[in-house]
Amino acid sequence: MTTRFNLTMQLSAVLALLFWVSPLQAGIDGITGTNFTLSVKTGRVFTPDGGSLLLWGYADGTGPAQYPGPTLIVNEGDTITITLNNALTVAGTASAPNVSMLFPGQRAETSTTDPGVPGILTSEAAPGGSVTYTFIAAHPGTYLYYSGTDPALQVEMGLMGAIIVRPSNGANFAYNHPDTAFDREYLFLLSEMDPRIHEAIELDGPQSTAVGPYLANPFPVVWFINGRNAPDTLDIPNLPVLPNQPYNSAPMMHPGERVLMRVLGGGRDLHPFHHHGSHARIIARDGRLLASSPGAGPDLSHEVFTIKSVPGETVDAIFEWTGKGLNWDIYGTPADGPQFVHTCVDGNGDDFDDTTHEYCPDHYKPIPVVLPDNLDLAFGGFYSGSSFMGTLGSLPPGEGGLNPHGGYAYMWHSHTEKELTNFDIFPGGLMTMLIIVSQGAPIP
Amino acid sequence: MATGYHRIIMKIVLTGSLFFLGSSAVQAGVLVQCPGDADGSATWTGAEVQPVHAKCMHLGAGDGFITMADGKLQYMFGFSNLTGIPANTPTGTAEILDAGTLAASFPAPLIALDEGDEFYLTLTNIGMSMRPDLFDPHTVHFHGFPQAASIFDGLPDSSISINMGSSLTYYFKLNNPGTYMYHCHVEAAEHMQMGMLGSFYVRAAQNGTIFNYKGKDFSLFAYNDGDGSTGYDREYPIQIGSFDSAFHDASLAVQPLPFATMFDNYSMLNGRGYPDTVNPNPLPPPAENGGKLSQVESTLITASPGESVLLRISNLNVTKMNTLATLGIPMRVIGKDARQLRGPDGKDLYYNTNSITLGGGESYDVILDIPAGDAGKTYFLYTTQLHYLSNDAEQFGGMMTEIRIN
Repeated sequence: MTTRFNLTMQLSAVLALLFWVSPLQAGIDGITGTNFTLSVKTGRVFTPDGGSLLLWGYADGTGPAQYPGPTLIVNEGDTITITLNNALTVAGTASAPNVSMLFPGQRAETSTTDPGVPGILTSEAAPGGSVTYTFIAAHPGTYLYYSGTDPALQVEMGLMGAIIVRPSNGANFAYNHPDTAFDREYLFLLSEMDPRIHEAIELDGPQSTAVGPYLANPFPVVWFINGRNAPDTLDIPNLPVLPNQPYNSAPMMHPGERVLMRVLGGGRDLHPFHHHGSHARIIARDGRLLASSPGAGPDLSHEVFTIKSVPGETVDAIFEWTGKGLNWDIYGTPADGPQFVHTCVDGNGDDFDDTTHEYCPDHYKPIPVVLPDNLDLAFGGFYSGSSFMGTLGSLPPGEGGLNPHGGYAYMWHSHTEKELTNFDIFPGGLMTMLIIVSQGAPIP
Repeated sequence: MATGYHRIIMKIVLTGSLFFLGSSAVQAGVLVQCPGDADGSATWTGAEVQPVHAKCMHLGAGDGFITMADGKLQYMFGFSNLTGIPANTPTGTAEILDAGTLAASFPAPLIALDEGDEFYLTLTNIGMSMRPDLFDPHTVHFHGFPQAASIFDGLPDSSISINMGSSLTYYFKLNNPGTYMYHCHVEAAEHMQMGMLGSFYVRAAQNGTIFNYKGKDFSLFAYNDGDGSTGYDREYPIQIGSFDSAFHDASLAVQPLPFATMFDNYSMLNGRGYPDTVNPNPLPPPAENGGKLSQVESTLITASPGESVLLRISNLNVTKMNTLATLGIPMRVIGKDARQLRGPDGKDLYYNTNSITLGGGESYDVILDIPAGDAGKTYFLYTTQLHYLSNDAEQFGGMMTEIRIN
């Protein structure tokens, strides 16, 4: 297996410059601390069909507006203070609207120093003004925040984001229970936009009379994960050409690892989020472990192959994959070539190789069918050219190329397949790819 | 007209496969891989011996026509069942292409297998007769198959898809019972809206043993529950699927496809709108198909008093979430996404309800426990999104069927 990695590494060094290899990508991107200063500003959401939409986004301090807003990563028990400045500008002579933040799932504390103005749902920041919110991050988990001012319009315009509260028992746990441990975590903040609304606001300002019917009967035609449409989801974070969409969605893992999926319904529509590859175990909803009693752990958890993402709801799920039970060796057999000679050493008796997590009962079982000749086939960009994990096979010129380590690639996407488009153009939308690479292959 | 197209397309397809034949070393044209099956029929006849656990099927991918409940003819892409036709013979390719042409069915042929089976699924790309401008490859995505390998995942982006006139054989070892589904994943928003959708379920290895649950003996179970709590007497696959007729009409007329404005106006269960859902027979074949049946599955649910009926409900609608409700009898939800609703330490998470809401790509297993005194009654399974109780402009149809107790 070492030989194969060396071969693939040379290629990958070149391709890494192009695809999802960035030192900034480890874990979930966001900002940490207990005191945050956010500003609401305008920006542009760029869509892969070549268009762009007016954004009202939360910005980190003096930075650019972001879609979604900065992911706030905080620790359980901390008192979190957020100062929100309203730096929104609008078209024409109309005045900018008030803006605000809601923290569903958090117990907000009233603040005696809150300089905001009263709104229906919460205190708001008037144009040019600011407001301060305080809450105690009492429960670990995954949460949303979003505007509480005219939210049907303002959340559509981009004012939403995620909060992650880390439990006291460590950063590699989702909750305070050993069964919530994970090796990697990824955010999937799902949303959609109706361009008619953004165009009306951009042309006529926030008092646009055209926008009412659209808000009453929205018809989105672009769909997002973490503020990007596919294929931009798979590009590196902090891409200069997407100045207001810093986050990507490019999950990767090794066989045998536990991947925490934090799935958030950040828009107004339900999205059935189907994760190819295997089931995932839903361990929590809305920042609460699915436990029958305190300390029981996720004993009310269950496995799904599609996560029903509901507006305003968050789901935490653990995804695992080894290729167990396929009844053929995904690492190949000696009959496939000398480079496929490998061992399966199960020292601890769990049926898996102690290092590679190969499922040993399937060791050296041949793949049971013969694949058609290349001339009979069409190829995907994420196809390595080989059936086997960690291997690159020969492909016709111009085919493949997006899978430099010969991993297995799985689409994670909305199963409302209409949402796999960018304003009438397929493919795109609410979609990304999970890449599972062999043990030893680098994951950024 | 269809016949004329048919001939032209057969020529194109056959010429294409001859080209492949001349340039391919390993395989060309139609080829069924099924252990113990010499003639490529995906069945075992004569001296052929079926290996233990082996199951085979041969699906064609192409196009055809079906009839909506209000009488509207709809063009579709779909799968056809070619199992039983010897494919690996000198005339096999021609026979398969002939049988698969304009043979698309909705829903796709049912796949029902047993836990422990080794499933050899051959997909032959027939080509779309009514769209000679298209050269689309096709795949089968076994939706929900756990621990999948991407080579057999049917996702064109990460693996291979089969070109017109050729075959690809998928291999699945079925280790986990439950209700899955399958569909083509090539240009998914288009091919799935066009109808390449079917039910796929795996029966539990526990079947055949006897468990007594709440005073009743069962020998059939949705899952390996160990206590009979998922026991049933009859099972029915129910697949939600719907069509946007503007999309289908645009496809037939070779017009730009309306992805952004996609809006389904025909809501169906197992490929039919009410009242066609309760027609126990195959629907009459459209003349445009050359007389080939394209809607064989009834969704009429019948049971006797005292029986437990397992509904294997899946959703492959591509535009909306859907709610299905029962009228007259509660649903006992015992499974979701091909997993028993049971926590990791054995707590049952079953619940009773009158409605379930599922998006595309979700499945539920629900059991209807028919009371002993309900002979002659009729219950209903229908969507509570009441605007989907229609066949386009024809009111009171769509996503509904009957549960008749005899």
